[in-house]
Amino acid sequence: MLGEYVPVLITLVVAMGLAATFILLTTILGPKRYLRVKMEPFECGVEQLVSPRRRFSVKFYLVAMLFILFDIEVVFLYPWAVRFRELGWYGFGAMMIFLGVVFITLAYEWRKGALDWD
Amino acid sequence: MQQLFYVFGSLAVASGLLMVLQRNPITAAMNLVVTMFSLAALFVLLSAHFIAVIQLLVYAGAIMVLFIFVIMLLNLQDDELRPRGRNFIHLVSVAVVLFAMAQLWQLLSRTPAIPLAPVDEAYGTTGEMGMLLFSDYLFPFEIVSILILAAIVGAVVLAKRRLD
Amino acid sequence: MPPLNHYLALSGVLFFIGVAGVLTRRNAIIVFMCIELMLNAVNLTFLAYARFLGSMTGHVFAFFVITVAAAEAAVGLAIIVAIFRNKETVNIDELNLMRW
Repeated sequence: MLGEYVPVLITLVVAMGLAATFILLTTILGPKRYLRVKMEPFECGVEQLVSPRRRFSVKFYLVAMLFILFDIEVVFLYPWAVRFRELGWYGFGAMMIFLGVVFITLAYEWRKGALDWD
Repeated sequence: MQQLFYVFGSLAVASGLLMVLQRNPITAAMNLVVTMFSLAALFVLLSAHFIAVIQLLVYAGAIMVLFIFVIMLLNLQDDELRPRGRNFIHLVSVAVVLFAMAQLWQLLSRTPAIPLAPVDEAYGTTGEMGMLLFSDYLFPFEIVSILILAAIVGAVVLAKRRLD
Repeated sequence: MPPLNHYLALSGVLFFIGVAGVLTRRNAIIVFMCIELMLNAVNLTFLAYARFLGSMTGHVFAFFVITVAAAEAAVGLAIIVAIFRNKETVNIDELNLMRW
């Protein structure tokens, strides 16, 4: 069973090795000439208008938060989907109750306007 | 096998320590991602295949994204993160934690090594989890939907108040 | 296969790192991350014992812990955002309204 994870391990080692090699190579080989203009964030060649460390809108947070909760819901679907045939109508009914409550949740936030961008 | 446990275990401890010691919240969050990942690897070593995937999917994938969003949303400047005085409380809490660790070490070094017996192929798979979830733990499973409902209502109310 | 003791020791060390973070850090977001670390350490204990007992009940518990952690992260971070809007800080030393 654990043998099936060997490709994952190989991918991990290759990815980490590649990243480390690139970082090492750029620090060793790359020329380092720091000018003030070079350190500024690039804004299409125009003078910098606003600070890049601006706070961004709470809307992104709302969407990310809703993503988490529906992510959890989908995670619960996997065990049911794998044993769908064995669980039969019993499992189907149980899942429908679960999904019904989640649907109420979706309807709530839809009405509240949490899904609207503006 | 044995070596993998120590590799990922020390990785988890190292990144956990770095997370606590880092001042920059983004660096701390990245270290926490490494901890989550090494814990997922340890879960695989314990044959908890389903939980390992969920760990990566939910923790490293979703929860940490939310953390980083909030860090960028608040975007704390460096002066807001400056440590204040209160060294006394720091000292006391570190001492308490070290004492508790020593106690744990005492307890675990006195008990003999307990070997873990091999388990069958189906152990820890998604299918077995499904069977358990839909038999003994059906009621908690249904309650989770109520939990999601409550969490969404709470979060929407808290986050949208000033938006309207 | 490492013995059960090693898993428990690792889990304990991770848990105490989380405790130390909660006690010493002042940034509410990092305190929250330390709580997540503690939850993860407990999950490791659950799974180690489940493996030791050869039953999968611990897996179900770990699954529910992860679910609750996700819900907690959503609401907790919403609370932190709300506090930041009201007080312009997330330093937990300055949030002392309910201290007597």
